[in-house]
Parts: sequence; structure tokens; C-alpha cells
Amino acid sequence: MVTFSLSFTLNSAPVHIAIEPNARLLDVLRDQLGLTGVKEGCGVGECGACTVIIDGETADSCLVLAASVAGKSVTTIEGLEQDGILHPLQQAVLDHHALQCGFCTPGFILSAKALLDKNPHPTRNEIKTAISGNLCRCTGYMQLIEAIEDVAGARQEG
Amino acid sequence: MQQLQYIKPKSLHEALQYLHEYAGQAKPYAGGTDLMVQLRAGERRLAETRYLIDINGLAELHGFAMKADGTISIGAATSHSAVSQSALLQEHAPFLCAAASSVGSPQIRNMGTVGGNLCNGSPAADTLSPFVALGAEIELHSLRGLRSVPAPDIYIGAGKVKLAPDELAVRIHFSSAAAYNTAFVKLGRRKALAISRMNVAAALLLEEGRIADARIAPGCVFPVPGRVPMAEKLLLGQTPCAHLFFECGKAVAEEMNARTGLRWSTPYKQPVAEALVQRALCAAAGIAEEE
Ligand SMILES: Cc1cc2nc3c(=O)[nH]c(=O)nc-3n(C[C@H](O)[C@H](O)[C@H](O)COP(=O)(O)OP(=O)(O)OC[C@H]3O[C@@H](n4cnc5c(N)ncnc54)[C@H](O)[C@@H]3O)c2cc1C
Ligand code: FES
Ligand code: FES
Repeated sequence: MVTFSLSFTLNSAPVHIAIEPNARLLDVLRDQLGLTGVKEGCGVGECGACTVIIDGETADSCLVLAASVAGKSVTTIEGLEQDGILHPLQQAVLDHHALQCGFCTPGFILSAKALLDKNPHPTRNEIKTAISGNLCRCTGYMQLIEAIEDVAGARQEG
Repeated sequence: MQQLQYIKPKSLHEALQYLHEYAGQAKPYAGGTDLMVQLRAGERRLAETRYLIDINGLAELHGFAMKADGTISIGAATSHSAVSQSALLQEHAPFLCAAASSVGSPQIRNMGTVGGNLCNGSPAADTLSPFVALGAEIELHSLRGLRSVPAPDIYIGAGKVKLAPDELAVRIHFSSAAAYNTAFVKLGRRKALAISRMNVAAALLLEEGRIADARIAPGCVFPVPGRVPMAEKLLLGQTPCAHLFFECGKAVAEEMNARTGLRWSTPYKQPVAEALVQRALCAAAGIAEEE
């Protein structure tokens, strides 16, 4: 079995790891690196549960060949909390009761983070577009949209 | 998934060498949004694939350029997100931006590329219709040389494209459509039935209130992509109005039946094609669909 030696930045820390050349990023993150906040829902790019941020852009990690992130910077939900303090988006999702089972939540938060990093004061429509690749089957979208607006609004004031 | 080797060439020449050396066993890997789904599903068309050649690092396949003569080119590995946000394209081919921004979801648009969209061989490739309306040419490279394929000719049947195994799409060229009013309209979601994936790209050149040139490129309507000269002719010299565009929609649907023959799906597709064409033309001309 030929392996591929992969070096990339994961949640701000360098990672060097031997992977199978045909591995999906999703599997490397979950099975080899233990980052189970990355979820597999559909496996075909429809649900967004596997969303990660690669060099500032969201991607469905179920459709990304892990080898292709060599030299890039990948952020997963595990990278958001700093020194035991939740990221404002994580806190807002809790405050707004924007989750039930939580399966979709990491993906939503990462889509929202990628949006706010580029556009700190999005309109409601821009928020809707940004999370349109993420599906939630139990909570619905209103609470999530409000949670994101809350963070954007707070930033606006601050 | 089958055993695969991953190769990331550092230059276009190196990429072409790999495609040449492993011809038939190597596939360019752009955004992976079609490839990864097909590989996981074990699709037959990829049964021989052993090497994925990552083309994302190749400068020639990126970015937008405009020449002094007004021709524009887009790198084949440009993402749908980049296309939809390009100020240059918003000015010179706004319906291409609209098509790119209608693809999948933000994640899919960040990863998926226009070259992958054209080379995957899906009749429902959304950017294909505006490229057809723009008269775009796809620049293909191989160690054997360089050639150009008109956009409508790239798709030759389900999953089949006019691309040799050692060829790489490098850039897509077209003339500015800044003088035209353009629109892209699309029906249905991807996972819905294939027949509901129709789209229409339309471009109208208006001179003193009359239509001086018209280009209509429906997607997923004809067996192979193409414009509709019969229907376009109806518009020449006329003043834009909803009724004219309705008649034009009917002409496109008739042309569909002529090119495809009557099928089980005709009773569904015919009114949809009519309505989509009318909607695209009204949107391009900036008029309401109802009189
Ligand atoms: C959930 C989901 C939703 C989608 N929605 C849409 C939609 O709404 N509309 C739409 O049109 N498509 C849609 N797609 C399909 C897909 O995202 C697009 O076709 C995309 O543009 C493919 O580009 P890619 O870079 O990801 O291609 P890849 O998967 O990397 O490649 C696709 C094929 O093209 C070949 N190829 C890629 N680049 C080149 C090149 N430069 N030269 C030669 N061959 C090349 C590859 O070898 C492969 O055979 C969707 C896909 C998913 C998973
Ligand atoms: S698991 Fe990746 S999009 Fe659903
Ligand atoms: S909270 Fe269960 S899927 Fe969204």
C-alpha cells in the first residue's frame, strides 16, 4: 500500500501524517486525527454536516481528497474555542437554542464563521445564502439565523 | 474507493506529461465535486482510473484576463465562487455569473470549477448554457499540441465529452457581451428528476428599442447543447414584449420536439421549456412576464 505523506495546518497547528492517497479529508480528520466534530451526513455534498474551512473558504470535506490540502490551512469546529472560551458563534447558538441533536451544528457554525470573517455585517439574505449548503432536520433555521445576526450585530456595536 | 495515486504537478507541462504517460488511467482533479461522488459510487467510467492529477496549482488554469480586442478568458480551474464574484465578468458576461452562483451550495461553488463543469459531461452543467450563448471556445492542451473546441461541441452524450484522455482544458475564451442584456434562469434542484434541470441563457442586443441580435441557449433541452437560430430569428427587428417572447418560447419547444422526437417526457418538458425561454427573455429585456 502506497501512502501519501501529508503536511498541512490544522486549527493553527502543523500536522504531518501518513494517509492513503485516496482518502477523503472527512475520514482523515475523523478517523486518523480524532476530530469527530466533522460529521458525515450524506457523503455526497448535499447536507453540509462535513463542512470545514480551507484557506478561508468552506468546503464539504466528504468531497475533498485529503492529499489535496497539503500546504493549506484547515479549520474544524474544534479550532474555534480559545482557552476554554467558546467562540461567539458557538455561544450564540447555545443562547438561541439553535440546536437539538447537534449533528448539523458544526457545519452551520463554520459556514457562518467563513461568512463573518469576510463580511462582518451581512444582511439576512447574505446569511441565508451562506448557510444554504447546510441542512438541519430537527431545529429549523430561524434560531440559527438569529444567532448569527446576534453575533454580527454585537460586532457592529463593538 | 479504488486504489488511487495522487499527483500534484508543478507546471502545466508536467501535468500534460502525466496525462500522456498514464493516458486512460489518469484524470485531472479540479474541485473534485463530481469526481469524488463518482469514485465513491464506483462509476464505470472511472473503472480504469488509477491516478488523480491535481491541477489546482497551475497558474495557466487560474484567473481572468481581457485582451485589447475585447476577448475575455477564464482559467479552467477557476471556482464558481470566483466566477460569480468577478467584477470583470459581471460587466462582460453577467449571465455567466448568475449561472455560476446558481450551482449547488456555497461549499460546492467554492470547490467546483468551470472547467470541471464543462468537462464532466453532464447535460445539466449550468455554466454550459451561458458559454454556448457567448460563443465560447475551450482551449485544450496536450503534449500533441493545442486545439480549440466550441463550447456546444464539448458535450457529446451522457458522461461523454470531446476530450482525449491526455487533454487538459486550460482556458475558456469568449467575446465580451457587455453590449447585450443577458439573463440566466433555471428550474429545479439537482437531485430532482433530471428532466427538471432545464435552464436557459439568453442575450439580447437592443438598438433603438429594437432587437438587433438574439442568442438563446437552453440547457438540458436538446440532445446536445446549442443555440436556436429559428427562434432567435423571430425576435430580430422586433420590440421586446411578453407576447413576442411567449411565441419565441413556443418556437424553442417546437425545435426541441424536432431535435429530440416525441418522448414520454415531452408533455412535461414542452410547457416548461416554453415558460423558461419566455422568462429568460423577459428577464433579459427587463420586462414583466404578464402583459
Ligand atoms: C451537491 C452537489 C450539487 C451540485 N449542483 C450543481 C448545479 O447546481 N449545477 C451544476 O452545473 N453542477 C452541479 N454540481 C456538479 C459539480 O459541482 C459541477 O459540475 C462542478 O463544476 C464540477 O467541477 P469540479 O472542479 O468539482 O470537477 P471535478 O470533479 O474535479 O472534475 C469533473 C470531471 O472533469 C474533469 N476535469 C476537471 N477539470 C478539467 C480540466 N481542466 N481539463 C480536463 N478535464 C477536467 C475531471 O477529470 C472529471 O472527469 C453539483 C455537485 C454536487 C456534489
Ligand atoms: S456529508 Fe458532506 S455534504 Fe453531507
Ligand atoms: S439540530 Fe439536529 S439536524 Fe440540526
